[in-house]
Amino acid sequence: MTDEPQHPLDELAAYALGGLDAGERARVETHVASCATCAARLDEDRAVVGALPLGLAPATPPPAAWPEILAAARAHSPARRPAAARAVVPAWLRTIRWPALAALVAALVVWNVALHRELTRPGPQVEALARRPGRLVILQGTGQPDASARLFVAVVPGHGHMAIAGLPALRADRTYQLWFVSATRPRSGATFGVDRRGRAWVTVDVPVPFDDVGAILVTEEPAPGSATPSGVRMLEARPWR
Amino acid sequence: MRGPSEPPDPELLRRMGRGDESALEVLYARYGGLVYTLALRVVGDTELAREVLQDTFLRSWDGRETYDVSRGRVPGWLMGIARNRAIDLLRSRSHQARLREREPLTPATEPVLADTGEMLARRRAVTSALEDLPAALRNALELAYYGGLTQAEIAHTLGEPLGTIKSRTREALERLRRRLGPLIEPREESWRRD
Repeated sequence: MTDEPQHPLDELAAYALGGLDAGERARVETHVASCATCAARLDEDRAVVGALPLGLAPATPPPAAWPEILAAARAHSPARRPAAARAVVPAWLRTIRWPALAALVAALVVWNVALHRELTRPGPQVEALARRPGRLVILQGTGQPDASARLFVAVVPGHGHMAIAGLPALRADRTYQLWFVSATRPRSGATFGVDRRGRAWVTVDVPVPFDDVGAILVTEEPAPGSATPSGVRMLEARPWR
Repeated sequence: MRGPSEPPDPELLRRMGRGDESALEVLYARYGGLVYTLALRVVGDTELAREVLQDTFLRSWDGRETYDVSRGRVPGWLMGIARNRAIDLLRSRSHQARLREREPLTPATEPVLADTGEMLARRRAVTSALEDLPAALRNALELAYYGGLTQAEIAHTLGEPLGTIKSRTREALERLRRRLGPLIEPREESWRRD
């Protein structure tokens, strides 16, 4: 990274334009996986890049193009293609790649050190989990803009761990609750409070197949938790890359 | 502006996932021209551009490319597929030298396709913002996006330091973002309701 190593803005812009080599891309992806600021910036850069073709003089496709596309589409009808029902798949549902996994393991080590005196240490089972195939999800503050969380879920079985920062401490009769929202109904994955610095480390159950999950939320609920989300949305899922 | 009865883009993709050909047709009517325009700009050949156009929409149809609502709007996603396919073709056919000699970006004039009012406003805004960019910034942007060159390759091509090219690229995107603002919202407004 050439400048502002804490937020490599030059590289984010080049990444959005597809202008980095493989090694640089991996470094950007690793950073973005653990930096909500840069993840948001990359979103903005991608939006600008996606709009660039609007500045070109419009050209009209040849009339025969559409019939050809339609004929080819019919040759690949939904009945013949295995992934027909997965036209909309959030990136955070894809199996994690090694750069993000490396970032997660690093984050776990830092987190262990930071919380050593105050909270139960995640312990070696967490690092073992992080080395297995799984998915990393970044949740970012909605009701609480400065809050964020990293959720790591093992593919099999459906459990994981979540590190949270930036949430306000709650009264004893309130709790935060993690939800996995699927096509059927939201299912609770954990309830938790935060320490005086707004942080927590939570063991998470994933009560539905992760591939069916359409959204992940953290809400504030009455203690000891609700059957369905009823309170303010504090965090929502963001992609890891 | 798109009417309230016209389905939003993510809805079209969901219907396409169920094999709804009419959804593919609507998506093509909305963005086929823009995909073809982009492809033609990159590959510089109508037959190759047609190949990219077909491949882009087939990939969105048959599941080889999956739309991620959290990574931006549908047109940006389609343009990403088209751009990558066009760059792949370009590299495979060694057209890079020809591309570098091509004339600079031509400003958009009146659209010839059935643009919505929203699309027309975006075209005008993007064209104006690009025209106002200093030539050095626009050149760095175009070599990366349309030429498929890495930052190091652009620095080599222009004989400029790598750091200068990176700074220009970033500055170009920042200026465009400031100018275009809400016209290029990073995410589909409808995704939370989906």
